[in-house]
Amino acid sequence: MVYLDYAGTVPMLPEVIEIMHNAERDFFANASALHTPGHRAMNEVEKTRKLLAKLIGADPEEIIFTSGASEANNTVIRTFEGYEIETSPLEHHSIIEVAKQYRGNKKPKLYSYMLANNETGDILELPKIDRTKFDDSPLLTALNEWGKPLVTDRRKEYLHSDLTQVLGKMPINVKVLGVDYATFSAHKIGGPIGVGALYVKKGVPFKPLIIGGNQEQKRRGGTYNTVGIIGFGKALEVMSVRKSWDVYDNVIRNLRDTLAERILTEVSGSSLNTELARGKSLPNILNVSFLASEGESIQLYLDAEGVVVSTGSACASGDIRPSHVLMAKTGNAEVAHSSVRFSFGPENTMEDVKRVMEVLPRIINLLQNISTIKMEKK
Amino acid sequence: MEEQDWVYSDVVKDHFLNPRNYLMGDESKFDYDAVGLVGNPICGDQMRMYIKVVGGVITDVRWKTYGCASAIASTSALSELAKGKTLDEALKIDAKMIDDYLGKLPKHKFHCSVLGHDALRDAIEKYRTKK
Repeated sequence: MVYLDYAGTVPMLPEVIEIMHNAERDFFANASALHTPGHRAMNEVEKTRKLLAKLIGADPEEIIFTSGASEANNTVIRTFEGYEIETSPLEHHSIIEVAKQYRGNKKPKLYSYMLANNETGDILELPKIDRTKFDDSPLLTALNEWGKPLVTDRRKEYLHSDLTQVLGKMPINVKVLGVDYATFSAHKIGGPIGVGALYVKKGVPFKPLIIGGNQEQKRRGGTYNTVGIIGFGKALEVMSVRKSWDVYDNVIRNLRDTLAERILTEVSGSSLNTELARGKSLPNILNVSFLASEGESIQLYLDAEGVVVSTGSACASGDIRPSHVLMAKTGNAEVAHSSVRFSFGPENTMEDVKRVMEVLPRIINLLQNISTIKMEKK
Repeated sequence: MEEQDWVYSDVVKDHFLNPRNYLMGDESKFDYDAVGLVGNPICGDQMRMYIKVVGGVITDVRWKTYGCASAIASTSALSELAKGKTLDEALKIDAKMIDDYLGKLPKHKFHCSVLGHDALRDAIEKYRTKK
């Protein structure tokens, strides 16, 4: 199998599987408990917290573990329930749909802009927010309902960035980025599905999404997912030892760019939805549209040949609308329906690129020839 | 090669991977009497049905489809269902018959991708108006 859906999920690293397997036995206890096995489990949770904090330039107490990126995103948006919320049109549904439902017109205002998009890989410029102090408004205290941490950093505007796709692909420093909140997910770096983290800058507004437990300093109720968090920690460790961002920038970029070049020369009616230039996109994502061919059909014909990709076509998602990201970027539903995302990871080789090119031109040629959409004669 | 594990039934898979009666390339390659159209690429699915009629019977069918796996499979299935039928019989083919023939499509696929019978009706109406 040629797996090219790393942006969807990265297969768990063998080191992660092993450590989690052992942790099921060694760190089974409730990490909130004060007895020895509980405390041992808590030490492991804190180890991951420190490591993540160090890797993103934060303090450990600024990290909250969640069930994944969607929960982290929901938490930030719900903190600003009833307040002004501006999102980029390229955000994940766990931002866009929540903001649509909960935004209001009170100030301060929240901006939510992802640094890199999951479908096209495009890198976005984060908005410059107004950091001038906010009046002594009582509104801000209302933003902290449970546990009531003080809002000491009173500003007119706050900034959240979903860094789910960025982790491991580029070095991250939340201070340099100037974000107040940031979202992370373990399964995008070879950790387990079901674990994520939210960076919350000290002193900014925060309202827990899950109430009823004292975990995470009353910021996220629920028994600690010790085993999952240990797996996340191992994935972070491997990432930092291998300096995965260098591997992505050099080795993986070369695979991605080679595939892009070959597709453009060898497959008629192909056009890129990803800007390849360094700094314009993540080095591992390539989004391509194929004229007169529909994405789900391409995906499944490729699957039948053992090549695994994803698509922004509506049909594949069970929705009637194609990808909102490609619609925002291209404004063309046909282009969005016809899009396929190839996303590379550390396991891929040039052989995988060759294999794709052995089967892709034939598949596109068939689909274009049986399509109702006529190809323009070149 | 590993066996595919898809949301689709084996019959759908077969009609998608080995579609029947499709019209490859230029439509002038098939000597048809009428052609019908349904759908829109903006919505993600579009089908054309080409029919050859002799003595009120559809003796041959070809099709073109832009769309997902179930759109391709359902048009392929329709082409098999329509062949050999009289025009009146062919007009009775509906989405449910195609769905039954394919061993049921996933629910969310049924409404958006089983459209071919409307293209067939369109072709039959055009054939009759032409006469």
